[in-house]
Amino acid sequence: MPLDPAFITDWGSAGIRLATPLILATVGGVFAERSGVFNIGIEGMMLVGAFTAVATSYYLGASADPAVISLLAAIAAMLAGGGIAFIHAFLTVTRRVDQIITGAAINILALGLTNTLFRAIWGETGRERVAGFPEVRVPVLADIPVVGPILFQQSLIVFVAYFIPIIAAFVLFRTTWGLTIRAGGDFPLAVDTAGLSVTRVRYAAVLFGGAMAGLAGAALALGAVRYFTPGMTAGRGFIVLGAIVVGRWHPMIAAGACLLFGAADAFQLRAQALNLGIPYQFFIMLPYVLAVAAVAGAIGRASPPQQLGRPYRREAG
Amino acid sequence: MESAATLTRLVRRVFYRLVVPVVSIAAALSVSGVLIVVASGNPLEAYGAMLQGAAGSIGSLATTGVRTTPILLTGLAVAISFRAGVFNVGAEGQLYVGAAFATVVAVAPLGLPGFIHVLLALLAGFVGGALWVAIPAYLRAYRGVSEVVTTLMLNFVGIYLISYLIDPITGPIGERNASYAQSALVQETARLPVLISGTSLHAGLLLGIGLAVALQILLRYTGLGFRLRMLGGNPTAARFTGMNSSRQIVIAMLISGGIAGLAGAGEVIGLRMRLYDRFSPGYGYDGIAVALLANSSPLGVILSASFFGALRAGANAMQQATGIETSLVLIIQALTILFVIFGPLRGWVATRTTRRAGLTPGGSESAP
Repeated sequence: MPLDPAFITDWGSAGIRLATPLILATVGGVFAERSGVFNIGIEGMMLVGAFTAVATSYYLGASADPAVISLLAAIAAMLAGGGIAFIHAFLTVTRRVDQIITGAAINILALGLTNTLFRAIWGETGRERVAGFPEVRVPVLADIPVVGPILFQQSLIVFVAYFIPIIAAFVLFRTTWGLTIRAGGDFPLAVDTAGLSVTRVRYAAVLFGGAMAGLAGAALALGAVRYFTPGMTAGRGFIVLGAIVVGRWHPMIAAGACLLFGAADAFQLRAQALNLGIPYQFFIMLPYVLAVAAVAGAIGRASPPQQLGRPYRREAG
Repeated sequence: MESAATLTRLVRRVFYRLVVPVVSIAAALSVSGVLIVVASGNPLEAYGAMLQGAAGSIGSLATTGVRTTPILLTGLAVAISFRAGVFNVGAEGQLYVGAAFATVVAVAPLGLPGFIHVLLALLAGFVGGALWVAIPAYLRAYRGVSEVVTTLMLNFVGIYLISYLIDPITGPIGERNASYAQSALVQETARLPVLISGTSLHAGLLLGIGLAVALQILLRYTGLGFRLRMLGGNPTAARFTGMNSSRQIVIAMLISGGIAGLAGAGEVIGLRMRLYDRFSPGYGYDGIAVALLANSSPLGVILSASFFGALRAGANAMQQATGIETSLVLIIQALTILFVIFGPLRGWVATRTTRRAGLTPGGSESAP
């Protein structure tokens, strides 16, 4: 029954878990887009992050405490995501190549690389469980009925995802760094005039975005399933792009959109058993439909950073 | 004397057209070759097996043709949008919706002669694809909303819409009690003819080639083609001529979406004979690679689609012969695009050709 407390706990808990990778990648994506660089390669960066995290955890094996291993795996995933993002930054910022094409190529590259390496390590069928992020149960709070287990009995990375959007919003709107990043996307000439480098700002934002996408991949792979399957991101990188739009390029609103999408996904997985009469496919469509509605202006004004997608040329202003 | 000069000019032009794609492909194959060596394989052996699998026999050539067909069409779809200065990233979704429209017509026992039934199914596919790009086209042309996010997001809506339509329990065109999500079988009268008996090569390939020629003529010799190219080449100048840019954008996007829809229709009535869930492994995105490698020239798309089609056809043979993963093909494809857009070579070609034409080199580094 949908209103049964047990159902709500199970649903909410899964919703938060599914939203976690989305939130992490979305915050990174907000920074990149705010600086003026569109990145449809987030999907590929997440995939590379997921693979790197699992491979790192696999090779470290039982050599250390699972918590230490998952930390190292998360760092490796962030470095890998950042490494792929460097290709994006180099081509789009330095070489001023079209951002969509670069991102599309990165997605294909990531799929090809991870598929090939996966088979090289684990063979045709191999899928080995590795050490993942440890489960954390916050004393007292986790005992609150319904809400407790949903919010306070989760994988460690989920708690990280609670704080990231808040910190990100503070940096973006309350610090000079944030102002510079936002100016990079809205009015790069001002950044240039202030004696700062538009190139450096955009590189930093894109690399941060890639690292967060890598971490999101680690959250996806090491948060629950603890193994890698080829193409396991399954379009989540594109949901992230939708969340950024629906969240109007604000880390907290975008994270809220991710929560909604995570809840819809978790509901969809359960809807098939519930016989609601609404085909489950419509719940999967929700993020994408909302994103189109958001850019179309149907749910309030959502205007992207003014110079989003445009390379900066000094003479062009 | 006169004709010799013309010939030299033609050779030079073809050379400059081909130098970027050919060098990019060579660079991608070299880097992938290094990866094969790292994986303790022999690149020459691997590429040899691939070539054998793609062109070693009539059967393998037919396979190359089959693999080429959908990406030839999506490549044309993306290329025509590029030429008009629009970025249709939504070919994947348009392909699915086109496939669904074509399926509805093709599974119906209409009692029509084969030729007409096939034409109707293809027309339905075109309409479906065009319809799926209509909202992004309207938003881009009349509201100034970038088509990138809208077309991209609608890909997934399209994919799950088809998944719903052919759902074995709830789907309106799903085959009941089937173990897979699939539509009914396409009527005999609605099937594209097979070109070489004993293979799966179907007339969809000819449709793609014919369309490429038609688009080349449209772009080069018609008023509409001229307006679309102007829109893509110099939107400001286009505005000053007083032409209705919004209308041209809508026309370009509808043609682009329609062609992507044809790609879906061709797969259903030419190859698979049913609509399946997730039947496209990303043909719509491959179209971006195909269009880019061809520098958005419709005739060039025939060549670039054949190259990527051959890679895919050869991949299985390569894996069987050498044990190297078929996903190497994805790496080759991605590296090819990255080398094409990387640019130094493109800049070199631009300066060489514009200097000869007495023009100053312009900003030609961004791809579409």
